[in-house]
Amino acid sequence: MKVKVISVPVQDQEKALQFYTTELGFVKKIDVPLGEGNRWLTVVSKEEPDGPEILLEPSPNHLEEAKVYQKALFDKGIPYTQFNVDDIQQEYERLVSKGIEFSIKPTEMGTVKIAVFNDTCGNNIQIIEIL
Amino acid sequence: MTYYQQEIERIRKICYSQERQLDAVIKTRNYINNNLDKEVNLILLSNIALASKFHLLRLFKKYYGQTPKQYLTEKRIEKSKEHLKNGLTVTETCFSVGFECPSSFSTLFKSKLGLSPAEFQKRAILTKSV
Repeated sequence: MKVKVISVPVQDQEKALQFYTTELGFVKKIDVPLGEGNRWLTVVSKEEPDGPEILLEPSPNHLEEAKVYQKALFDKGIPYTQFNVDDIQQEYERLVSKGIEFSIKPTEMGTVKIAVFNDTCGNNIQIIEIL
Repeated sequence: MTYYQQEIERIRKICYSQERQLDAVIKTRNYINNNLDKEVNLILLSNIALASKFHLLRLFKKYYGQTPKQYLTEKRIEKSKEHLKNGLTVTETCFSVGFECPSSFSTLFKSKLGLSPAEFQKRAILTKSV
């Protein structure tokens, strides 16, 4: 078995694509129409184009339980997933300058530094620098 | 303060209250990252971390989930993939990431990635040209 795709639930796929590419800096990899306006839509890291893909999945729009789960995590401030960065302070400043809202500013947590931001698609996302 | 922030605070107190231990392992990891091409051994690392060899070994494993040796190997393999993608030969790659013998480097590389360095490089070049 291999890890090729992880999914992130999003409320609006087009808006999510813009956020994950224009704001975060990921690159679109696969975009296949699945009917009724849904897409198999994935993005990858610019540094690792052959690495795991993030599937921007419209599950909250189709399954009430997915919507409830996503909202519950969001309301508690819990990140849906996390991405690694080399320099969290630099990344924090870059994202803040684009107007992205952080619920946790860069914070030391033992051997890592973490920060959490709102992806505007219904999720908290954590970034992490390993110290 | 969100539930997640409260949990972060709680876990930090339980797991990360030993500042000297944290300093020692973070210093060790940084040293490894910056000296992949050099000879790195536990005696040297324990001198840098100001801890005994076995204490450092235990601490590193406790905080990073792997031994310094495992971490070093992982970083060297990761770096060697970059060098191979950038066109360095297998021998050049081997020495540039601190391995001393191309054949043992190739064996280790294959055991980790399922491909020899030469095969990995061939595939990387083919992928780039498509």
